[in-house]
Amino acid sequence: MIATLRYEFLMQIRRPVMWIVYGLTFVVLVATMWPGYRTLDLGLGDGHDPKAAMLASARLTMSLLAIVYGCLLADRLIRDRRLGIATILEAAPCSAAGRLVGKYLGVCAATAVPIALVFFGRAVVYTFTEGKVETLAWSLAVFATVILPGLIFLGALALAGPLLMPPLPFRVLFVAYWFWGNLIPADMMPTLSHTIFAATGDYAAYGLFDRARPDAVVYGWPDAALNFLRPAATPAVAVLWMGVMVALAAAILLLTRLHAARSES
Amino acid sequence: MRIRLSQLTKTYKGGVHALKGIDLDVPTGMYGLLGSNGAGKTTLMRILAGLLRPTSGTVLLGGHDVTTKEGRLAVQRTLGYLPQDLGVYPDLTARQFLDYIALLKGIDERSARRRRIGELLEVVALTEHADRKLKGYSGGMLRRVGIAQALLNDPRLLIVDEPTTGLDPEERIRFRTLLSRLAGERTVLLSTHIVEDVAQTCRYLAVLAKGRLVFQGDVGALVAAAHRQVWTVTTSGAAPSTGRIVAALPHGSGMRYRVVAPVPPDPSARPAEPTLEDGYLALMEAAAPV
Repeated sequence: MIATLRYEFLMQIRRPVMWIVYGLTFVVLVATMWPGYRTLDLGLGDGHDPKAAMLASARLTMSLLAIVYGCLLADRLIRDRRLGIATILEAAPCSAAGRLVGKYLGVCAATAVPIALVFFGRAVVYTFTEGKVETLAWSLAVFATVILPGLIFLGALALAGPLLMPPLPFRVLFVAYWFWGNLIPADMMPTLSHTIFAATGDYAAYGLFDRARPDAVVYGWPDAALNFLRPAATPAVAVLWMGVMVALAAAILLLTRLHAARSES
Repeated sequence: MRIRLSQLTKTYKGGVHALKGIDLDVPTGMYGLLGSNGAGKTTLMRILAGLLRPTSGTVLLGGHDVTTKEGRLAVQRTLGYLPQDLGVYPDLTARQFLDYIALLKGIDERSARRRRIGELLEVVALTEHADRKLKGYSGGMLRRVGIAQALLNDPRLLIVDEPTTGLDPEERIRFRTLLSRLAGERTVLLSTHIVEDVAQTCRYLAVLAKGRLVFQGDVGALVAAAHRQVWTVTTSGAAPSTGRIVAALPHGSGMRYRVVAPVPPDPSARPAEPTLEDGYLALMEAAAPV
């Protein structure tokens, strides 16, 4: 598992296309948010509170860069077979499940590096600009609880999805899923957006860090469909959300392994 | 490592019978497996490498039953496998690629891994290219990387599936020589449809046709299968209409044909000394007459 993790990380982190796509998306993100992006709180009016600034940064980071993250992962699992290397790997005396987990961790970690750079880069700039060292601690806490669980789930989804369809249509569907299931307002149409299954990290932001919406509502859309999937954001529900993300990822990886075992025979 | 197969069958989903009741005993040393495309060679290789489960029958490699999980792992620890369609990661260098496979094969100690990779790069004559990315390698160089990865764990059983397909003559000869050198105490199972590769490297061989084992024995016995079945016909007229023409050379104003046929294909036909290729063709004719 460690060997696969190490080499999958290496191969993904050295992909020029990864840095180019992230770079272009980041430019689009900044241009879209300008001039708000220049302000420490991204224009939310609470620029001197490092916690609020890091939460705003996390939401912004996940809004578009998570799409790139999923799309860049979409060909990684099927690549071994496409390149014709799967046979050599399968003939090695190591566990196929271990290799799958190693690949998952390696490519997901590498693909998350640019996201981490954007997020922590902003945290460092904030720390020096405001002179508040606690920003770094807030950034670590926000990354671990708001961003990371979503990436864990999205990584498994994006790796496994192309087992069902070619990577290109999967990427199109992934982008559609991201907007429909994560970004649109909950009362616009029936959606998974803002539910316990959404990957944007709202539950952790609201439940663990007392983040309030601009309209002062802590969480919830009274008239939205599927509201039973939107419990009030408490610390316990935030932890539950993290558990759901990890459990979904584990379930997807398990199904992926079963699918591979079936095709091996 | 001795290989024993008993009543081995493999039927794919959809009812395609790839192997039909194979009984085979492979001794240590270089062993050839001949057969046309679609004969079942790759299926057999994949079963031996633990990549496919047989539908029925027993497969013992060095006493380990490869159809069980424990047996498969035990075999894979002492197995080197070079598949027919060898793939590599194009953005890794040969050294990195070998390092990765060595780790997967359980060579955890860094110094031992480096030493072994260095030795093998020497063996396959790639030392000076070792730090180039694999996407810049020629087909022959990639085959040599393939054999290097197969040898990383110093395997007792080396399975090479169609290793010389697509190589130029020089690379083919180099590769054959390398395989022969590697045999020694190992079992090297060379699967190919190129008779010449087997003729130049193996003493013993088996022949598969349409999923059935139609021959196993030494090279001499296969050559003998064409005894009194090889003819030369020199004519300025039409080509012989019976038998299998294996060669046609311009000769004066006519042509000289080499024909494999159970009876003289022409009144002017003269008997010729059979080769391994003639024996193979005679066997194929008998197994599936056309």
